[in-house]
Amino acid sequence: MIKIFYILKKEFLVMGRDVHSLAVLFIMPVAFILIMSMAMRDLFETHAVMQIKILVVDRDKSDPSQAFVEALEKLGSFSFHHMEDNTSLDLIRRKMFQDDYKFALVLEKGFSAAAGRDGSNQVERQMILLVKPSVTRQTYTILKNTFAANLAKTRIAFLLKGQEEMLDFAGIDLEKMMQPADNLIETRYVSKGRQKFKVPTSVQQSVPAWLVFSMFFVVIPLSNTFIAERNYGTLMRLQSMNISTGFLLGGKLLPFFIVNLIQVVLMILVGVFVVPLLGGDALTMGDSFGGLLLITTAVSFCSISFALLVASIAKTTEHATTIGGVFNIILAALGGIMIPKFVMPDFMQTLSVLSPMSWGLDGFLDIFLRNGNVLDVMKESLLLFCCGLMMLSTTAFIIKRKLSL
Amino acid sequence: MIEISHLYKSYGKFVVLDDINLSIHKGEITGLLGPNGAGKTTLVSILIGIMPRDKGDIFIDGMDIDKNLQEIQTICSIVPQNLAIYPMLSAYENLEYFGGLQGLKGRKLKARIDYCTEVASLESFLNKRVHKFSGGMKRRLNLAIGLLNNPRILYLDEPTVGVDTQSRNYLLEMIKKINREEGSTIIYTSHYMEEIEQVSDAIAIIDEGRLILNGPKEKILKQDFNLSIRVGELSEALCDRFKRMQAVTVQDGCIRLKRDGRFHDNLIEIFSLLKSHAVDVIDFDSRDNNLEALFLKLTRKSLRDA
Repeated sequence: MIKIFYILKKEFLVMGRDVHSLAVLFIMPVAFILIMSMAMRDLFETHAVMQIKILVVDRDKSDPSQAFVEALEKLGSFSFHHMEDNTSLDLIRRKMFQDDYKFALVLEKGFSAAAGRDGSNQVERQMILLVKPSVTRQTYTILKNTFAANLAKTRIAFLLKGQEEMLDFAGIDLEKMMQPADNLIETRYVSKGRQKFKVPTSVQQSVPAWLVFSMFFVVIPLSNTFIAERNYGTLMRLQSMNISTGFLLGGKLLPFFIVNLIQVVLMILVGVFVVPLLGGDALTMGDSFGGLLLITTAVSFCSISFALLVASIAKTTEHATTIGGVFNIILAALGGIMIPKFVMPDFMQTLSVLSPMSWGLDGFLDIFLRNGNVLDVMKESLLLFCCGLMMLSTTAFIIKRKLSL
Repeated sequence: MIEISHLYKSYGKFVVLDDINLSIHKGEITGLLGPNGAGKTTLVSILIGIMPRDKGDIFIDGMDIDKNLQEIQTICSIVPQNLAIYPMLSAYENLEYFGGLQGLKGRKLKARIDYCTEVASLESFLNKRVHKFSGGMKRRLNLAIGLLNNPRILYLDEPTVGVDTQSRNYLLEMIKKINREEGSTIIYTSHYMEEIEQVSDAIAIIDEGRLILNGPKEKILKQDFNLSIRVGELSEALCDRFKRMQAVTVQDGCIRLKRDGRFHDNLIEIFSLLKSHAVDVIDFDSRDNNLEALFLKLTRKSLRDA
């Protein structure tokens, strides 16, 4: 017991006096959380009004064409900039590139005719939608469908105009019928645990993501001290004091596990209290303390084992810093730390399961976002423990071999 | 104190230790001398129990190393060649950490730290961080840590590497003091001949994994003792006269006498001849009669890298 006390004291003194390690372990992830929570706020803000800028040229200048544009404006998803009705397509094109419009809508002269007031079937084309090639297919499809739906409503409205008496007789309120259908749909976010309404925000993604990333960054201070101990004969001295390889490894696992726990507490506090001060949403946590502790322990075990493996393989501290840093960045990019997994294409999402950081992130998201419990993070935790155990066994083998040479 | 018989160790086909047989006596300082890569550190690592051997028996203080390693390690201590200390910790924190890991605590730990820092003259620097220490101070702390468990056997693996002359002399005095006051058996590895000569009671020379010479220092040095007398210009006749004498050689203005049964007679005759021929005696030199000469002779004078 007394030995554990001296090991903990030594590790914390060494780490506490190493400004660079402290910066990597605590300042870097806090900075990432603050920056990324702010930077990705709009991407995650599902209730925010994200308006698409659209150029409009109304060549028809009729009641139906104006009603069509007004109906779209009422949706709140579009911001229209009106141009003269005689503006040529070439001028519209130039304006799009000049002022960064992704879309332009031209309502053709026969728009009202097509709307059905005069019943003519002569007009084939009612509007032209100009689209920049950089627009994604999904955005284009959603936009086109919205226009088509509103066009249909416009046509119905004008077809039913003049039939007010009949509608009154039937008890139909035309005004109410033409209102947007948004209020007819209720959105509910589902969670794994008890049903609890929770809107995902950028801070819900940033805190667990950069928390996992920072936990894996123990590779830098741990490998640096371990390699220095090996190269300067400290491990040899400790071995001669009848300190076993298992105790040597345990002497690293325990202090760095405590460091990981401090990181978790600090990052959660930043998410709950600091991010809102900067205008972001506060981090909301789940109810399962047990689940949080389990996934934290699993990520910590895996990250420290990874750090020990790097330390046992690397010959110098520079070597370890490079290997550890590069691997961490690759695992982070692959595991949805840097870019949320849901914006990745399918094959990249499949590939992300190869990264232990992805398992850790999923576990934390289960707790923070999906209100999961111990059982919900069991799968990810087991994966992390197994992976950590494999790395730790390999490390023990390498260290024993190197020290006996 | 330490009995080694037929010890072998190899890395693959490379033989590091080849049939080492050595006895180290209790309370003595034994200098383990050898060029780089001779096998000194490997031998010490095996004796301290952190490296397996291929073959051979080792008994330390009457205990078989295979059966009593744990007990052996409690009475031994090693001061590694590298500075096995934490630069970001103070001297006290380093001593406390290594002492604590050896099971020392409370007053006992404090008393050992006090003793070790006094021996190493580090009392005034206990709370100073080690990265601010000079090279000599770091070496002294490295050695002080090795004394924490009051070892009956102390292995010093090139403890003076990279320090200035004053610090080296201090360290050598410190080692002699430890041996005198604590009665520790000390195994001192080095490739600095003058250090081994200065501190050792016994010498073992190892080269290419083989023990090529060992025994009490005085006996070893005397067996190849020479005296050089640098003189003024010698006539050819006088030169021939000297060359005809047994155990005497003349070369480059130097007359060399080997220590054998005729040493004193030869010495008297040489001086009387020099006086009668009015030849000046410029200098006496016995330096090439020291351990360095013997070492270079035994290891065939060639530079070999490990």
